[in-house]
Amino acid sequence: MKNSRKLTILLFVMMMLVSACGGGNTVSGEDAAVTEPALPVGTEAPVVVADESVAGDLVIYSGRSETLVQPVLDAFQAAYPNVNILLKSGSNSELANALIEEKANPQADVFITTEIFTVQSMYQQDVFQSYRPAAADQLPAEFIGPEDSWVGITRRARVIMYNTELLGADEVPTSIFELTDPKWKGQIAAAGSTNGGMQAQIAAMSQLLGEEATQEWLTGMIANEVTFFGGHTDVRKAVGAGEFKIGLVNHYYYYLQLAEGSPVGVVFPDQGEGEIGLITNATAAGIVQGSKNLSAAQAFIDFLLSPEGQELFAELNYEYPLIPGVALHPEVQSLDEYRLADVNVADAALNLDATLNLIETVGLP
Amino acid sequence: MNALELRNISKKFTSAKTTAVNDVSLTLRTGEILALVGPSGCGKTTTLRLIAGLERPDSGSINIKGQLVVDDGHFTPPEKRGVGMVFQDHALFPHLTVFENVKFGLKGQPAAKARETTYGMLKLVGLENFGERYPHQLSGGERQRVALARALAPHPVLVLMDEPFSSLDADLRHEVREQVRGILKAMKATAVFVTHDQEEALYMGDRLAVFQNGHLEQVGLPEEIFHESATRFVAEFMGDSDFLPGTVQNNGIQTELGLIPQKLNIPENSSVEIALRADDVDFDQSDHPNALVLARFFRGAHYQYRLRLTSGNLVHAFKSHTQLIPPGTSVRAFISAEHQVTIFHNGLAVEAR
Amino acid sequence: MQRWKNFLQIPKRINISPRLLLAAGLVALFVAIPLVYIFFRAFTGGADVWIRLLQTRILKLLANTLLLTAAVTCGATFVGVSMAFLTERTNLPGRHLFRWMLALPLAIPAYIGGIVHLTLLRPRGGVIPQLLENWFGQPVPTPSPLGFWGAAFILTLFTYPYVYLLSGAAFRSLNASLEEAARTFGRNNWRTIWEVTLPALRPGLTAGALLVALDILSEYGTVALLRYETFSSAIFVQLSGRYDRSAASILSGILITIAIIILWGELRLQGQARYTQMDSQWRPASLLPLNRWKIPALLLVLLVVSASLLVPVFVLGYWSLTALLDPETLSSIMRSGSQTFGDYIWHSLWSSALAALIAVVLSLPVALLSVRYPSKLSKAISRFTQIGYAIPGVVVALSLVLLVNQFLPFLYATPLIVVMAYVLRHMPQAIRASESALNQLSPSMEEASRTLGRTSLQTIFQVILPLILPGLMAGASLVFLTSLKELPATLLLRPAGFDTLAVRVWIWAAEGFYIQAAPAALLLVLASALPLYFLLRREQIFK
Repeated sequence: MKNSRKLTILLFVMMMLVSACGGGNTVSGEDAAVTEPALPVGTEAPVVVADESVAGDLVIYSGRSETLVQPVLDAFQAAYPNVNILLKSGSNSELANALIEEKANPQADVFITTEIFTVQSMYQQDVFQSYRPAAADQLPAEFIGPEDSWVGITRRARVIMYNTELLGADEVPTSIFELTDPKWKGQIAAAGSTNGGMQAQIAAMSQLLGEEATQEWLTGMIANEVTFFGGHTDVRKAVGAGEFKIGLVNHYYYYLQLAEGSPVGVVFPDQGEGEIGLITNATAAGIVQGSKNLSAAQAFIDFLLSPEGQELFAELNYEYPLIPGVALHPEVQSLDEYRLADVNVADAALNLDATLNLIETVGLP
Repeated sequence: MNALELRNISKKFTSAKTTAVNDVSLTLRTGEILALVGPSGCGKTTTLRLIAGLERPDSGSINIKGQLVVDDGHFTPPEKRGVGMVFQDHALFPHLTVFENVKFGLKGQPAAKARETTYGMLKLVGLENFGERYPHQLSGGERQRVALARALAPHPVLVLMDEPFSSLDADLRHEVREQVRGILKAMKATAVFVTHDQEEALYMGDRLAVFQNGHLEQVGLPEEIFHESATRFVAEFMGDSDFLPGTVQNNGIQTELGLIPQKLNIPENSSVEIALRADDVDFDQSDHPNALVLARFFRGAHYQYRLRLTSGNLVHAFKSHTQLIPPGTSVRAFISAEHQVTIFHNGLAVEAR
Repeated sequence: MQRWKNFLQIPKRINISPRLLLAAGLVALFVAIPLVYIFFRAFTGGADVWIRLLQTRILKLLANTLLLTAAVTCGATFVGVSMAFLTERTNLPGRHLFRWMLALPLAIPAYIGGIVHLTLLRPRGGVIPQLLENWFGQPVPTPSPLGFWGAAFILTLFTYPYVYLLSGAAFRSLNASLEEAARTFGRNNWRTIWEVTLPALRPGLTAGALLVALDILSEYGTVALLRYETFSSAIFVQLSGRYDRSAASILSGILITIAIIILWGELRLQGQARYTQMDSQWRPASLLPLNRWKIPALLLVLLVVSASLLVPVFVLGYWSLTALLDPETLSSIMRSGSQTFGDYIWHSLWSSALAALIAVVLSLPVALLSVRYPSKLSKAISRFTQIGYAIPGVVVALSLVLLVNQFLPFLYATPLIVVMAYVLRHMPQAIRASESALNQLSPSMEEASRTLGRTSLQTIFQVILPLILPGLMAGASLVFLTSLKELPATLLLRPAGFDTLAVRVWIWAAEGFYIQAAPAALLLVLASALPLYFLLRREQIFK
């Protein structure tokens, strides 16, 4: 009995020690100013003049992959050393749900997503407040939310990537509708029902082709034993490793996999006569109604649309900047070469519930 | 003033079918040791716990030193009753030393005085050198004395002891109970003592209270309880009595072992039972045997013989070592008592006329 | 109405403390409200949602969930009992070491084990299939860790220790005389095991098996990772997929019902269970010689130990090293927003430790009431507060989101709501530990204290608490351990900037960044192993 009591005390002391060490690491604003932002090797840290007038906690809900968003946050932190960034990463829809729950009791300052459907429905739910950044005038009109509720940041396209060791360039499907062809049975990977990019694609297809045709396509994909992953990183890695011949992804996943040295190729699909065109989407962000740190939130949106912010997305993540004049990543094919699908984003957002019903009806994993 | 007064106390446990304590009334004088004795489950321990305040009676009232501690509308919790208790398992606190255990009940006293009292108590029980030890480092007898010292240290108006010796070996038990009685008397403590062992009760108690099935059967001095048992149960429980049937006649009681010339206050021809102890019966080897020797037991100072009477009833008899009678011998048994024997009618002792 | 009155009325003669009753009642209320609220939401959810769910999902999910629960429970029971038999009752070489190695997988959350096995075994992409393909020059079919069989396999690997520990203790506590008696009736060794030993183990075995069943019912991370849809994962999808809580509430209501049925079954079985006492006459039963089975048995144990402990720890260690040696990876895992790795550790530790403290404190009035004043009412309160056992983290989180936002908005989006979820979910462990500690304390200790002038409250602090402290610490360790691993409730409830180690593991792993996830996972395993070590040291077999 005595022994176990001693052990107990020891355990507590150890816990306290470990805790104390951990607690000491909290970064205060001043510390962060000195710290070099963590940028991947080969990227030059942009020269910034620190603005110390903007300060306080900035709560960012991010539906974007943390690896992609963190370098941007680091750069923002370097520019605004007195801001303490509190990040909550999750899926678009999970965070969107949280925002709706919190309407009476708002927690977030900024919401940043991987596609427009989510921000559009957040606008409909009155989650956002209006803010028109100076750079907004340079954006195409379709990437500014109604009443300036949100702004687009970067653009991405839905593409087909393939493993070049398993497939010749002439064999690769050139349309997403070829993916239901039984000859690809069990050889395709894609993201599943919980993935925002996939949801958005389904919504866009419903908008373009009607629900019936979309359902037929989804049923065909499932019947073709497509493997659905939780996210696109799984898809690109699986295609890169040769686990699958073909993957349906956002374009930058192809470039990310290519950068890892994998034998992968890409097709920007549906360019032929009578085909629907390339389905694209945009990342977007908005300021939450009831934000407690408006100056930091606005500074952050401004930063996302600044040449520096846009460059980071283009450089690190091969995305298409929405602000004209910002250079593409040298390896990325320009969108000007392709015909884009004609989708009305605002209308598609109205169909979100119908999209989810469709996903459930066909039983998309 | 009485140190303790129980009036018509009854207690029934929700889970049990029978009443644990049924209409018990008792009084105890200051400085007296009362032994509650009876077979297990007779209600003696419950009575003790009711006095301590560890249970609450269904009805009746209890006074301690003239203070009402419980009745229908009032209940004084145990910590406010000023009683000390020694538990069957001693209940020494394993996380405290012997010294701290004894001092535990002295809260509210100045530290120096509490230490002095504690030391005095340890000295009284002969454990003044054991203060720094923990309970698990003590022998059974030592733990027993610590428990007593702890209960006595706050000078309680009443000491309650629940089978305090039952966890000790037989040898130790005799030694410790002598010490304990000595200590209680030295402190002039008033005590209630619970035991199932009649011999222990007779030794420890200034007076005895015999319980059966929740009833108080008899209260009295040890001699009264032993020789003038009020009920057949008391006679049976307290002293290995055999019961011989008899019939009341105008000149005495007719039994299988002859006429007992005791005149009773009940009608003739009533059936009675005569309580006979082994020292009340004798036998010889005459021509008219009425019993058979079944067995012989060596009892140290003498032999005890078990006899079967013609009727089949069993009696016991003591005999000295001078004669050895083998089992199977036919003998003539007779009553040799020179005092009045106790006679029961319907389980109750019958008064002489 | 009258019946309720009788039930609630405290008989005067029971010397029950009204303050204690009030405290225990409040604890029960605290536990009950979220549940009742979920039920309320489920049944006011609207017919259309019910119809939609019935048409599409519920039956399939129900079948999936029950199938997986049954499979893993059987698997874990089989593995647990056979391992316990080999280490406790045979002369298996190295069994003292294996005892520890077989119990330690409890420190590895199943989703972390799942990540490791997924990497190793994924068809075509996994390490092992790749190696085989390189050796043989063509793909070799290997078992897939995905889907039903994969999930069943991996969950079995990380839940069998429950059964192992409980049946191991039962194997040990069997008195030699029991088996010797059977032998004198002409049974040989193996028949004795089958006819006497195993039936005698039943209480420990069912307790372990039911723990496994409840665990699987509320499992989220692993099944999501291995892409096998169950109720828990579907609730999570509903929660994050739609802007409507009623579907999630309905699924939760059904899940709670199943769980309560299982819990009820467990309580019934437990009520009848009597564990063998190790009294002074106790002698350990003799060890069976394995003879020619020694090598196969050793290989079997090694296989289980490797798959559930050695391989995961080795892989996590290797990945962690890779991550630490690569500056780019290292810098990416060190930060999230303005938070650093130290913050995750600190968040994990303090929220779990606070939850452990609160759970133990709240368990005290309930345990005191049920142990010292046994009555229908006190038993009911004790059972009721243990309902959290049966409720998946997702459901607890959902109920808290709905409730707190509506009634206690100032608590919402604070770390305290995460702690609250841990307490609600893991309270039963604290209550069971406190009850068993109190059961071992003789009531005469408290009575002695009362007769020595202490009030009941003083008695609790001066006598009861010091004496049951080791037992309470065991309960606290258990709550700490399970809170540290908790994932779904933390994911849903964490405020921005309050990521725990488990959340960090999940955020990286869900996207396939396993190397980035490894350091947090390894730390999580190590932090869980510490309280587990303390807990195991209390057990007879690990002394």
